[in-house]
Amino acid sequence: MRLKDKVAVITGGAQGIGRATALMMGREGAKVVVADLQGEKAQSVANELQGMGAQAIGVAVNVASESSVKQMAKATFEHFGRVDILGNIAGIYYPKASVVDLSEADWDRTIDINLGSNFLCCREFVPAMRKQKSGRIISVASGIGHYGMRQFSHYAASKAAIMGFVKSLAREVGADGITVNAICPGSANTSMPRQHRSEEEVMERLRSTPLPHILEPEDIAGSFLFLASDAAAFITGQSYNINSGNYMF
Amino acid sequence: MTQVALIAGGGGGIGGAVAQRMAAAGITVVIADNDGGAAERVKSEIVAGGGSADALAIDVTVAREVKAVVTDVAKRFGRVDILANIAGGSAYTKRIEELTWAQWKEVIDANLKGTFLMCREVAPIMQKQKSGRILNTASNYGVTGSALRTPYAAAKAGIITFTKSLALELAPDHVLANTVAPGPTDTPRVMQKESPEARQQRWWPNIPLGRTALPQDLAEMYYFLTTPESAAITGQTFHVNGGVVMP
Repeated sequence: MRLKDKVAVITGGAQGIGRATALMMGREGAKVVVADLQGEKAQSVANELQGMGAQAIGVAVNVASESSVKQMAKATFEHFGRVDILGNIAGIYYPKASVVDLSEADWDRTIDINLGSNFLCCREFVPAMRKQKSGRIISVASGIGHYGMRQFSHYAASKAAIMGFVKSLAREVGADGITVNAICPGSANTSMPRQHRSEEEVMERLRSTPLPHILEPEDIAGSFLFLASDAAAFITGQSYNINSGNYMF
Repeated sequence: MTQVALIAGGGGGIGGAVAQRMAAAGITVVIADNDGGAAERVKSEIVAGGGSADALAIDVTVAREVKAVVTDVAKRFGRVDILANIAGGSAYTKRIEELTWAQWKEVIDANLKGTFLMCREVAPIMQKQKSGRILNTASNYGVTGSALRTPYAAAKAGIITFTKSLALELAPDHVLANTVAPGPTDTPRVMQKESPEARQQRWWPNIPLGRTALPQDLAEMYYFLTTPESAAITGQTFHVNGGVVMP
């Protein structure tokens, strides 16, 4: 049990990479706060965790809302009394629009949810980690933050910005024993890419990576687990690519 | 089936820790080092602790030696699941105009050529197995460069891109290749050259996590890259450096 008695907050925990990460951490002994905009789905993941014998709660949260994030932190401390791991996984990949057609509202929404959530969640949890002189923050960025993607400039900008944020926070909190890293997944077998592509297109893309290995949410969760474990005590400020070899940065 | 790991440079600080970590996970480790005595010492420690290990001497810059060793290991153990190339180092700190051609070649060969020769012999075995993990070793200097270490930084940058190319070549056969890039690490070799106090003064203020690495910090990264949890990772570079470099 690599995370025995650690308290992990996983945003975006109701589905995809977030769900896989919540379940894997629970299996490794963590007490998990499954936080998601879809509160009912978050609760059902928490139920699944409890069924495995893990302690877990489901929390409805809007990670782009200051008050909602504060509520999530309050629930975490009320139930578990501490926080050891923060997984910033909540995010959106929407809408598909070229720069000249993108509305200001859609731009703001992507930046607020993908990037602003990192700021709001870290701001709530860093003080407790500082006090206990330990903590692990792991954020989901994306390869698209490195190489860009047409019709997703807002998403690419938000994900590149997460990497800058992660590096800066890593420098701020390193002396307090807190590590901050990013994981850049390639396109994974989740519902997210299916918002914009047909089932055939999604599977074709998943099969076209150099490594003949369809990227599953569990592949990403495995790296979350590693970075949250004692084995990664000396790793901070890094952005690790998990993508079946799709790009090498 | 017990996994077999061949660890070039396994007698050194980081290499020895990697051998220990893998052996602790039940992997049979073959420790290869140009210092045969150092390889034997690591082997004895592992065997004394109940692990499975073998030791041999190798100069990774000599093609026929590499071929002979890999052939022998494959024959005796029947397979090679993991190849960790950790041999190498920065032998000189010299201004470019003071560096001889022979010294340049020595550093390039010990790091880059050695990695190439080892991979060239082991890759076909892994391709036949349809599985394998190759772990090469770069350095944060391979990304940032370093004054007075031009051949070392060049070799390490070379290893990063060599590994990406190799990863693309071997991916269809489920052979994964990644690079680990250590930062300042407290190995016996560097601790000989510098007092702990001088080292702390030089490094600690510049490292966000406030210390230099222990070989064990690196060993965990190498080990992770051999596990099922890293099955989707290839062609990547993993910096383990306390935040001293964030590429």
